Amino acid sequence: MANDVGARAGTVARRARRAMFWRMVARSVTRRRSRVLIAVLAVGIGATTLFALASIAIDIPRQMTREMRAYGANLLVMPQDGDSAVPVAALAGIDHLLEAAEVVGRAPYRYETLRLNQAPYLTAGTDLGAVRKVSPYWYVEGDWPGGPGEVLIGQDIAEWADLGAGDQIELVAGALGGPAASADAGLGGQAGSDGGDQPQDVIEEEATGLFAVAGVLTTGGTEDELILMALGDLENLAGGAGEYDVVEYSVAADSAQIEELAGRISAQVQGVAAAPVKRLTESDDYVLSMLRSLLALIAVIVLVLTMIGVSTTMMAVVAERQGEIALRKALGANVREVEREFLSEGLALGAVGGILGTGLGYLLAQVISLNVFHRSVGMTWWLAVVSVAVSTLVAWVAALVPVRRAAEVDPATVLRGE
Amino acid sequence: MTEPRDLLELAEVSKVYGDLRALDEVSLSVPRGQWLSIVGPSGSGKTTLMNIVGAMDRASSGSVLLDGVELSGMSPKELAQIRRDTVGLIFQKFHLIGHLTALENVMVAQYYHSMPDEPEALAALDRVGLRERAAHLPSQLSGGEQQRVCIARALINYPALILADEPTGNLDAANEQIVLDIFRTLHSEGATLIVVTHDPDVAAEGQREVALDHGRMVREVFHVHP
Ligand SMILES: Nc1ncnc2c1ncn2[C@@H]1O[C@H](COP(=O)(O)OP(=O)(O)OP(=O)(O)O)[C@@H](O)[C@H]1O
Ligand SMILES: [Mg+2]
Repeated sequence: MANDVGARAGTVARRARRAMFWRMVARSVTRRRSRVLIAVLAVGIGATTLFALASIAIDIPRQMTREMRAYGANLLVMPQDGDSAVPVAALAGIDHLLEAAEVVGRAPYRYETLRLNQAPYLTAGTDLGAVRKVSPYWYVEGDWPGGPGEVLIGQDIAEWADLGAGDQIELVAGALGGPAASADAGLGGQAGSDGGDQPQDVIEEEATGLFAVAGVLTTGGTEDELILMALGDLENLAGGAGEYDVVEYSVAADSAQIEELAGRISAQVQGVAAAPVKRLTESDDYVLSMLRSLLALIAVIVLVLTMIGVSTTMMAVVAERQGEIALRKALGANVREVEREFLSEGLALGAVGGILGTGLGYLLAQVISLNVFHRSVGMTWWLAVVSVAVSTLVAWVAALVPVRRAAEVDPATVLRGE
Repeated sequence: MTEPRDLLELAEVSKVYGDLRALDEVSLSVPRGQWLSIVGPSGSGKTTLMNIVGAMDRASSGSVLLDGVELSGMSPKELAQIRRDTVGLIFQKFHLIGHLTALENVMVAQYYHSMPDEPEALAALDRVGLRERAAHLPSQLSGGEQQRVCIARALINYPALILADEPTGNLDAANEQIVLDIFRTLHSEGATLIVVTHDPDVAAEGQREVALDHGRMVREVFHVHP
């Protein structure tokens, strides 16, 4: 009986003590705002930087890999040796062969050399809507062409010709020395075969078209030296219709399946040759892993700096409360109790700083990502949890040494005054 | 345990700082329920004595028996236990925790002693006339009010011994009287009080007055109160 009552009283006492413990921690955190703010800032800035870096390091490569897998041409169909263009009739045959596979997109290309200010530039006519769909990671400064008469120009051309989005350009087709034009035209010379096929056209009339530059395209690849326009615009300017130099397919399949499909198309469809295109190349992989190690290195440096900053702050915070610690000891607190209280405060500050810092870090990652990578970054939830946990741990570790030292204070100093 | 023992028995207690003997072979017994005043010039060892009696510091030599327990040779943890169980402390500079309310400051002493009990803490504040100011922070209280919170905190665990070092040193005459009134009540209820003071009037409130000089007891006076 008496034992039972004693046990119940013990439980009540423990509960009351725990409530008071957290009440003291909460008061210290909420009523000492300016001090707390500094400590939270020290943790928060670290958490912001680390979470932003880690978000970018994890999410951007993931997005890019996913996009490179899902999008981008992975099957090229070209005219067979000697033929000038992919026969339109062949397309139906290819579609038939691809029926079983999932075709994400298809973009036909026709290449012509057009002149801009007397200088020749390779120009591609294509289905711009389809290109945009399979290449969402292309960066266009300005807009994608919205209709006929609008073109995209490659970044290098924009530089050479000093052009930008919104400028008007005059493009000239034909009436150039035929052989030169054919030699010039890219992609294995198929585009230039116009000239070889119809020698009498070499002295044809010049055709001139006025176009608006909708945007400047940067891909880091050969597209930077290309003018891109709607197929219809190119056909109007250069004449001819339904003559494709290349048709790009984006098929949801792995490289072995693509290889096999390409072989079947080449063998079974008249007048065309198909070839697989590797999407995520090893060099891309290498760049991504380099980017990751670089960010990891920066993260470690930031972590160390945060650690130093937080422990310095904690030292100041604890030093300021030396008198309070001595008083608590004079009231009967022992070293362990004082340590527990102040370390719990450190934990609370770390958690608050971690949560705020992680939130801000997400915003920072978003800003960096939009400005540098031209894409938005997703919220990686497990990383947010890790970020808050690490911040809390960092604050705890940083508080450990100063609190241990402060807890050793002599209670006799209280009566001696300050 | 049949014969009633003195609450505090000091025998040849010294405290040495380097060459300085802050306390020099002090022997002193304080019976239960006594109100003892300690006076003496600055640096005479009054605070040093209070620290040793209050289990906050250890004597260099000699024996300190508090409530029948020998303090010399105790570990810091055991001393902390004595402080929380046996001693109530009142300071000249109040020493309230700035971010806790009056009520919470009192509850801190309960917390280290046994368990926080808000109604009981409120009652203690009521005793010193501060029930209405329970939710105020120390910065929102006058010096006299802060000292009364400090007293409520010292009393909350019914300590066997109440130690006050210059409790009225920072107070005006009116607040000094309020504090002395509280002491009188405590004394009439049987509390044992040791009060260090520079003020002869405050010293005269006690039943017994001991003067220190250079760490030695130099004079002892008994006051008779009507
Ligand atoms: N930690 C210490 N180290 C060295 N000397 C000390 C220490 N604490 C106190 N003293 C010295 O011991 C002597 C007694 O000090 P104590 O504080 O007990 O005096 P006091 O009587 O309380 O004086 P006051 O009236 O000014 O408060 C003083 O000379 C003081 O300088
Ligand atoms: Mg003193």
